[in-house]
Amino acid sequence: MVLEEISSGEQVEATIEPLNLNDFKVIKRDKSRFDSFNWNAYKSREVYKLRLVSDETILGLMCLTDHPGEGIDAIEIELLEVSLENRRGNRKFALIAGCLIAFACRESFKRGYEGWVFLKPKTYLKEHYSSKYGFVWVPIKTPSQPEGIMELNTNNSLRLIKRYID
Amino acid sequence: MKSSKNIEKEYTPEEIAESFVFPGPKASPERDAMLEAFREHRKKVSEKQSERTKLIAQLLQLKYLIEDYIKSDHLSKEYTFGYFLKEYISRLEKKNNQFAEEINVDPAELSQVINKRRKPTEKLIFRLEIHSNRNFPALMWFRLLEKDRAYELKHHREIIDSEKKNVKQRLAFSL
Repeated sequence: MVLEEISSGEQVEATIEPLNLNDFKVIKRDKSRFDSFNWNAYKSREVYKLRLVSDETILGLMCLTDHPGEGIDAIEIELLEVSLENRRGNRKFALIAGCLIAFACRESFKRGYEGWVFLKPKTYLKEHYSSKYGFVWVPIKTPSQPEGIMELNTNNSLRLIKRYID
Repeated sequence: MKSSKNIEKEYTPEEIAESFVFPGPKASPERDAMLEAFREHRKKVSEKQSERTKLIAQLLQLKYLIEDYIKSDHLSKEYTFGYFLKEYISRLEKKNNQFAEEINVDPAELSQVINKRRKPTEKLIFRLEIHSNRNFPALMWFRLLEKDRAYELKHHREIIDSEKKNVKQRLAFSL
């Protein structure tokens, strides 16, 4: 999997790994780079980090929730955050969130869920998750979740994996 | 920690979609209701899914399991070349004899490879790549074979020790 270095246009090898306890300390110490969520509250959860192969600096974080069996068989992207310096037009690297989401798709295939991935969107983001990553909005509305959900099924997941990982 | 309201003030929706996924409902009854609704939806869609799509998903699962096993430092007694070849054939819902015919290999040879009584030939591995339409490349199968070898050497020192009698001289020191 590769990221794009904006300044040079070069592709740089990246990797995604489970977060270890030391990483949580690093994130806490360096909380200006991941300032939007309390990642420490997710210590007991399935959290992954994205970094360059050549550098230990964490560039993106993602928390997944596994929904095995009981008719769901899907992976939920519960939380995702790209590091502060990579969020705007003047960012250093592009494709971080795409690689993380594609990784969730790959995990879904690997666990036998046929590539099913979902997340709960804010209403104003539906269109953007759709155009950026191919998420499809499903009008599953509950009193607490009037926005419905967004999902990637087998074909959409495969497309994302080919685009960001293969 | 910022509230989503602050993030919305600071970034455009497009920038947010490229950098964040916000957490959904945490309260159990709310989450349960959402998951129940998703379960119903998932079931309906799965029932309509074509056999071809299911097969693609099954083969991708196998491919990613192989890739991750190759990448890991772990050496497994179970995850052998033969184990994964057997999985490949069974996910295609083929009998060994039928598969042997498709890649023009003697059924007995295929059976011995699957049951770890014989090493696969290069030709067999090349044919696996071709049969899978390059989705399971020869290099992947060769790397699996390397893992098999590493497991043997780690757990069966006698393979190496049996050659002692043929070595007439050796270094007198350890590095």
